[in-house]
Amino acid sequence: MQDLLRYAIREAEALGASDIEAYAATSAESEVFVENNDVKQAKSQSTSSIGIRVLMDGSVGFYSVNSLARNKIKDAVSMATKIARVSPRDRYHALPGKSKPRMLSGIYDKNAESFAPADAARMATEMLETAKSYDKRVSVDSGNFSANVGTHILSNSNGIELAERASVFSWSIMGMAIEGSDISNFDFQLGGSHSVRGIKVRAAAIEFAETVVNSLGPLRIESFKGEMLLTPAAVNEMMQETISHSINSDAVQKKSSHFAGKVGKRVALDMLTVEDDATNVEGLGASSFDREGVAHHRNVVIENGVLKKFLYNTYTARKAGVKSTGNASGSTNSPPSVSTTNFVVRPGRSSLDTLVSEMKNGLIISRFSGNVNPVNGDFSGAVKGGRLVRNGKVQHAVKEVMVAGNVFEALRRLNGVSKERKVLHDSILPYMRFDGISFTAG
Amino acid sequence: MNVVPDVNAIDHLRSLISSSRGARYVEARYQARLTTEVNFVNGELERLRVVENSGCGIRVLIDGCWGFSSTNNISSLKKSLGHAKSAARALARTKKNKVRGLADSRMAVGTFRTTVNGSLSDIDIEQKVKVAREGEKAARSNTAVKTASCTYREMLDHKAIVNSDGADVEIFDSKPEFSVAAIAKRGGQSATAHEGAGVTGGWNDLFKKSHLDYALTASERAAKLLDAKHVTGKKTTVILDPAMVGLLSHEAIGHTVEADFVLSGSVVKDKIGQQVASELVTLVDSGRSEIANNAGGTIIVDDEGVAAGRIAIIENGILKSFLHNRESALTFDTASTGNARAFKYSDEPLIRMRNTFIEPGDDKLCEMIKETKQGYLIKGARNGQADANGEFMFGAEEVHLVENGEVKELMRGASISGNAFDALRSVDMVGDDFQFDIGTGYCGKYQPAKVDGGGPHIRCIAVIGGLQ
Repeated sequence: MQDLLRYAIREAEALGASDIEAYAATSAESEVFVENNDVKQAKSQSTSSIGIRVLMDGSVGFYSVNSLARNKIKDAVSMATKIARVSPRDRYHALPGKSKPRMLSGIYDKNAESFAPADAARMATEMLETAKSYDKRVSVDSGNFSANVGTHILSNSNGIELAERASVFSWSIMGMAIEGSDISNFDFQLGGSHSVRGIKVRAAAIEFAETVVNSLGPLRIESFKGEMLLTPAAVNEMMQETISHSINSDAVQKKSSHFAGKVGKRVALDMLTVEDDATNVEGLGASSFDREGVAHHRNVVIENGVLKKFLYNTYTARKAGVKSTGNASGSTNSPPSVSTTNFVVRPGRSSLDTLVSEMKNGLIISRFSGNVNPVNGDFSGAVKGGRLVRNGKVQHAVKEVMVAGNVFEALRRLNGVSKERKVLHDSILPYMRFDGISFTAG
Repeated sequence: MNVVPDVNAIDHLRSLISSSRGARYVEARYQARLTTEVNFVNGELERLRVVENSGCGIRVLIDGCWGFSSTNNISSLKKSLGHAKSAARALARTKKNKVRGLADSRMAVGTFRTTVNGSLSDIDIEQKVKVAREGEKAARSNTAVKTASCTYREMLDHKAIVNSDGADVEIFDSKPEFSVAAIAKRGGQSATAHEGAGVTGGWNDLFKKSHLDYALTASERAAKLLDAKHVTGKKTTVILDPAMVGLLSHEAIGHTVEADFVLSGSVVKDKIGQQVASELVTLVDSGRSEIANNAGGTIIVDDEGVAAGRIAIIENGILKSFLHNRESALTFDTASTGNARAFKYSDEPLIRMRNTFIEPGDDKLCEMIKETKQGYLIKGARNGQADANGEFMFGAEEVHLVENGEVKELMRGASISGNAFDALRSVDMVGDDFQFDIGTGYCGKYQPAKVDGGGPHIRCIAVIGGLQ
């Protein structure tokens, strides 16, 4: 495979490109879908593709083709140079130099190679049956189980030659509980693992079933101001996008990040530490190097409430006059952009039980369904799977409650982070509790 | 820039299908797509890429279970068929509700080409970069506009579909789109305006209006909106423009009548034959570009090989039909409506809309305005949400106050909401004009789909509320 990439680089050099990058990927996947309390369809796919990026006189050209045939690669290279000739010049374009990533162990399980569609079907069925047998009121609307083995290969004209293989198993389950005319809020649970041993479909199914059953029999409540305890899934829905956006150098440079100019300043209470960590193999976003071949390492972005750094790829780093943080992202079919890898919130000191028992008056929110504006941090929407807590005791499920506020203000009212964390694909998140949140009865 | 069509693709599919054994139904779809995308933001090139994506998707029905496989390697179709079969067999033991079969349909045969005025392959990439660059610059021509973005995107498809029930088709399709956004700012205030078009056709079909016209219109509107007042929320008479009618037809009505959605309990499930809208309303979904040319969601044949014709969902106010693929058609004891669509070769066909619209009536827009004592003329559909029960909330970019039969001042963008069926029951005037106008949009349902929608202007009752 590296031979093909070297071939692409030589071809592009012959056509006058000064810098060349070839990024190829191959993958094989089996997936089984669940719908209406039944398995729906099984799917298997195999694919390979390559993206060619060339620089000519400070202009960039990009062409991608989903074939690794030599003649297709040759055409792709020629098209990429043609595109570079019609692109405007931009002096910040450059490819990274050679680095030596420490190759991760634990993201590839050789047992994944023999994982057949029948195994995926067995997992999907086990998840479905676990949820259904937890309580007969549980109804599974949809779900999936997928198994993927993929290889990423990257070479550039600065001498980078890297390859890595990873296996990813992931699953999800969504639905509600139904008791007569009482239909609970939807709940959605997901999970993932790099190894066969780490597959835990039962845990996702039980958590899903428990949540929907717990949200049956909801009662209306009066509007009030109080505490909000978010599950990891709700943290993901309400907070993560805004924080990810604000720490992204691309957003900073386009003047849409609330954190612009705030490095070294306090942006949250000191119990919050956020890391971008591609080296954490628990997260599905783990890999040894980024989309441009820059070595991955752990980036502490917010430490004890203080903003430490932004996340960069080579282009945005050059613009800012800093080094890439290894956050070039994207597939073979587009030039690199910037994004988080594994978004990790460090665990706190309290157990979940303690966080609940300390609540005077507030809501536990399983899911948040609404709008979040990642630029200014405003959020508003419906509380899903909400439960009222008074004096440390869970009272009952609530219905038709709206919650509105601002992510940046909420981070300054954070008053609890749990020891327990959940891995939600490429997010590793604890339960988080905030004070002074307004809840409006619908 | 051109995809070299794999002229032998259809032969590979034919020999695969004719030699296949052991399945109730086998379908093979080859698709080669060339996507070109150019985007400028604030004077800088944000994205320029060309992506070639081709391969074959194979679907089999064995013992009432679907198996699907895809490969980018056209010379390994036999192996891929084997994967599809083992995928289907993997479900045989656990699947409870087996697929009963597929409705009989007349299978399409032949070669179909989208009519284009100005082949996209003949337009140099330089020209595509130029329209996006100039469009973005022109969108900033009004000094109030601080941020602008302009995108040119095209998809060129070569498809072949062969199945064991007799479909044997090749399709050549061409879908370009152009869109501009201008954001005007002053102090803490901002206002956004969008313009653009997405068509099935060629370069000259897309640029009937010049790229600069789109950009200048957006620029001026953004600036004007900055000075506009906010509306006061209330339930009132509204005149919806064709884009808004298209969005309402697609998002709030269309999804509720997709048969897979009906089977999981949509609000219309028992309503065929019942009055669900004003008798002035005939709401259609068609794979063809009816009434006006170049609708963005046009497909000639669907991805199960069924001709994608016109289907009246609501006719003179009566709910007439759901949207079907062959599987759901058999369940409902009817015929497929040609709504099975797959976005890429690696996607399996699902029930999707195409061009969804309300047919024109007899009223003149000027009469509609003249006969409105108090209300709003609502233009420029933005994104929206609709629930399974027809409840919707859409953003509108510009709202004009209508008072005593005259269009008064321009107001800020607002949301309109309500129940789509209630809104359609309240329709009392339907315009004699017609336009498709949501062709730059994509519909998402597990996979994207290029769709369009439109209609005449219509007058109805809805809740208007402040937004932004």
